[in-house]
Amino acid sequence: MADTKVIMPQMGESIFEGTLTKWLKKQGDRVERDEPLFEISTDKVDSEIPAPASGTLREILVQEGQTVQINTIVAVIGDEAAKPAEKPAAPAAAEPKREAPKPAAKAPPPPEARPPLQEREGAGEEAEAERIRSSPLVRRIAKEHGVDLAALAGKGTGTDGRITKSDILSYIEQGGVRAPERPAAPAAAPPPVTFAGDVERRPMSAMRKSIAEHMVMSRRTSAHVTTFFEVDCSRIYQAREKHKPEFERSGVRLTITPFFVQAAVRALQKFPIVNSSVDGDTIVYKKAINIGIAVHLEWGLIVPVIKNADEKSLLGLARAMNDLGERARNKKLSPDDVKDGTFTITNPGQYGSLTGAPIINQPQVAIMGMGGIKKRAVVIDDAIAIRPMIILSLSFDHRVIDGAVADQFMAEVQRQLENWED
Amino acid sequence: MALTTYLEAIRQGMWEEMEQDDRVFVLGEDVGIYGGAFKVTAGMLEKFGELRVIDTPISESAIVGAAIGAALMGMRPIAEMQFADFISCAFDQITNFAAKCRYRWGAGVPIVIRAPSGGGVHGGPFHSQNPEMYFVHTPGLKVVCPATAYDAKGLIKASIRDPDPVIYFEHKFLYRRIKEELPEGDFTTPIGKAAIRRKGSDISVITYGAMVYTALDAAKELEKEGIDLEVLDLRSLLPFDREAVLDSVKRTNKVILLHEDTRIGGFAGELAAVISEEAFEYLDGPIRRITAPDTPVPYSPPLEGFFLPKTSDVIRVARELYAY
Amino acid sequence: MVNPHTLARPSIERSSLPPNETQIKMLYYMKLTRELEDRIERKLYKQGKIVGGVYVGRGQEAIAVGSCIDLRDDDAVCPSHRDMGAFLIRGMSLRTILAQYMGRKTGATGGKDANMHMGSLEHDLIAFVSMLGDNVPVAAGIGLSFKMRGQDRVVVCFFGEGATSRGDWHEGVNMAAVLKCPVVYVCNNNQYAYSTPLERQMAVENVADRAEAYGIPGEIVDGNDVFAVWYAVRRAIERARAGAGPALIECKTFRMTGHSAHDDAGYVPTELFEYWKERDPIRRLERELIERNVITAAGIDEIQNGVKAEIDEAIRLAESDPYPDPEDCLRGVYFEG
Repeated sequence: MADTKVIMPQMGESIFEGTLTKWLKKQGDRVERDEPLFEISTDKVDSEIPAPASGTLREILVQEGQTVQINTIVAVIGDEAAKPAEKPAAPAAAEPKREAPKPAAKAPPPPEARPPLQEREGAGEEAEAERIRSSPLVRRIAKEHGVDLAALAGKGTGTDGRITKSDILSYIEQGGVRAPERPAAPAAAPPPVTFAGDVERRPMSAMRKSIAEHMVMSRRTSAHVTTFFEVDCSRIYQAREKHKPEFERSGVRLTITPFFVQAAVRALQKFPIVNSSVDGDTIVYKKAINIGIAVHLEWGLIVPVIKNADEKSLLGLARAMNDLGERARNKKLSPDDVKDGTFTITNPGQYGSLTGAPIINQPQVAIMGMGGIKKRAVVIDDAIAIRPMIILSLSFDHRVIDGAVADQFMAEVQRQLENWED
Repeated sequence: MALTTYLEAIRQGMWEEMEQDDRVFVLGEDVGIYGGAFKVTAGMLEKFGELRVIDTPISESAIVGAAIGAALMGMRPIAEMQFADFISCAFDQITNFAAKCRYRWGAGVPIVIRAPSGGGVHGGPFHSQNPEMYFVHTPGLKVVCPATAYDAKGLIKASIRDPDPVIYFEHKFLYRRIKEELPEGDFTTPIGKAAIRRKGSDISVITYGAMVYTALDAAKELEKEGIDLEVLDLRSLLPFDREAVLDSVKRTNKVILLHEDTRIGGFAGELAAVISEEAFEYLDGPIRRITAPDTPVPYSPPLEGFFLPKTSDVIRVARELYAY
Repeated sequence: MVNPHTLARPSIERSSLPPNETQIKMLYYMKLTRELEDRIERKLYKQGKIVGGVYVGRGQEAIAVGSCIDLRDDDAVCPSHRDMGAFLIRGMSLRTILAQYMGRKTGATGGKDANMHMGSLEHDLIAFVSMLGDNVPVAAGIGLSFKMRGQDRVVVCFFGEGATSRGDWHEGVNMAAVLKCPVVYVCNNNQYAYSTPLERQMAVENVADRAEAYGIPGEIVDGNDVFAVWYAVRRAIERARAGAGPALIECKTFRMTGHSAHDDAGYVPTELFEYWKERDPIRRLERELIERNVITAAGIDEIQNGVKAEIDEAIRLAESDPYPDPEDCLRGVYFEG
């Protein structure tokens, strides 16, 4: 038979403790159920308490004169003769069923965890969004579409310039960032040129002026760093050989460049930060991937853009490049053709350069340079092989792209090229 | 087919139920010979006899208590409070006896307490109240507030058939002002389901009772300036149609909660909390409430005019919210 | 100081007795009530096996038993908290009652309510609420439903003298009177409402004096004489069954305990306890039954032993019954189909 715990009863709804005034039995005595066992005193009443079970009063845990909380175990009635107490008396052993009026120290539930940010660089993003007046709905829509609310800063049509639902929705509909008007940085005037000797002074062409301004501005704006990767072009050479005839049948001349464009596109999909722009202290991610291909012409440098290059196949890319190149040479490019690029590829190797460290085409954050492709002796599996190698360079804006990311990006480009599969 | 007033619709509903179920009966002050203070029960004594249309002493507590006793024995009583304002006299019977029988000892109390509520009739503090929230706050009760003649009939039938105690607030302002063509045949309005009175895309106005018409009038005006209100008529407060409320808010993203009851402890507070808890990310603006102020209902027309929420209030708040 | 109202002034004398069989049944129920309540209040509660409030009707057993013993199965009863006999006579089991007190799932309310707040539609036994007096209009409504259906059922409604101070009591009696409902209102005037003695509860001398104000008959009986109670209530029941409307029977008695188990009634002058102890209804009945040779002393002992055994068994069962699931808290608020 199990032991029976004898407890301090609750004599009245507001009573939470009682004093055990007298034991009517001694430890070791035989007791019968319902027989008077001990006496108590509470605020409301003094009472005689009957035994809850028959047996031997094995252990007395609360002594005469002690005041304990209700439901405290005061004694144990067992079946056998009294054994020495196994545990020392613990007056507060039982958990009272109803607490004395103490405030339940219940920690408030933790604030709902914020939904995790998607894998994007820029930890300060959320905080940024909140300083711009919007609403829970607008922030949700912005997050779902990967839009940085800073892009709409100052353009809200709601009260006090709040960005409203229709603001964000129309922004998304118009698909992408308009390059924010950048106030021309006041250039520190360089010192006048003096030369002892004859000179011929020729004013710059408009295009030259523009290029000059752009290059200097770009250097001033971005934190230029360049990384260099050596890539084995044998696979893409093979692929080119394979595809050339069929492309020609479609009227498309297949050079080696489309392969690099395709590889860059795939890498940009993996590393969207390289496809972004910097606007003040906001990073503007662009959904579209528009690859600009730098074309050198007699009269200057132009960068026609292949729009939505990620939606084009190799054939499509080659065709676009053919078309743009031709129109560029014939001066038939429209303003739209040279606008909204998100990444640029340039070809310093065209004229034999090993590699180059190009200047970033603002407002982009990276530019890839293709050096000359040369057959070289390389070590593969501890043997010497002859492979067509290229040195690819990536100049990147260290404000938003760290070295590790730039290298990972280029590693991906390399991987794509060296493992080319159709 | 003839137009039926909101008041007649209530009578029709009760009449039809009494015809097809002889457990249903009516008790209250002046309901028999006089046909009810508002004539809702006119003709019923002659038709159903004095055992089923019972004139009682002025004893709201005993009216409800007796209804409870009869319901426990299987009857379906409809207890009438002459004015909803007097329901406080029966508060204990309603909240402690009727509301808790099923929970405590499994005994259903299928009573209906009809209570003419609402202001706009120069009734003053004791003939104009909207006391629904005391009962919305009592688990075990159901609370309904029809706004249309169709629902007045549909809900009185549903309430009579419901196995739990239902407090049926009929808005006295609507009694004779609302006239509709009602369909033939037996129909009920489900308790706990709201109805969209006007579908809209810009702002949800969630309301009940006479304020439904205030909202609709405002919607007509605002239409002219290109603001498209959605008006949701709750019809039931306990239980209320959470899904309909959230669905409306998720579509329009802006919400106005409108009721004739006073502000603190009014139903709008409950709805605002639910919307904030469950549709926070769908809100394109703060939740707005339009209610009566926290005062007793005053009598003199300019005072009562100030007290009651008006169409112009809805228009003003809607414009503010729209522009936010 | 002896309370002037302690002197019972019965307005009717019992002029007939029930058959012997019924008399013995009455004794059985009164002893069952007494023993059950002793166990509940003096043992189980003090052993911590019952928590919350405990309210017994010690010394008042004759009232519920005398009133209910001859009711038909289809009559209804609205008891109050000192009418344990009503529950037992109507058929609620000891185990259900004890499990109710101990908050078990098998109790009358499944743990939802406590102590005497029990009811059972099956037994036409209406659970009362703590707002005493609320059952008075409810009883009127019950009677009304009988009338409406043309049934000759009656409802007996119990309350203490304290409850007659409440508005609902007056509204209910008035309603029943005006509508001529078949209700018998039985007042258990035990002269103390918690610590409030009669003279602080009302300015009239007898609760039954109020009956006239409502146009119904009022009777005063010795609440500790089970046959007097039986006679008066039976007559009122028959009257009501015949369609003559309600009556008010005031049973004079005394509360031989505190208001509840945690109240030692220190405010009651001890002379009153002593006076009423002499008039214990069970001792009286036993003496009378022996005198009239309806039962022997051995027969009484047999009943007592039987009652103890029944209760022992019921406690044993109820004690091992499970508690309700914590989530039962959420169930049963509304009809769940």
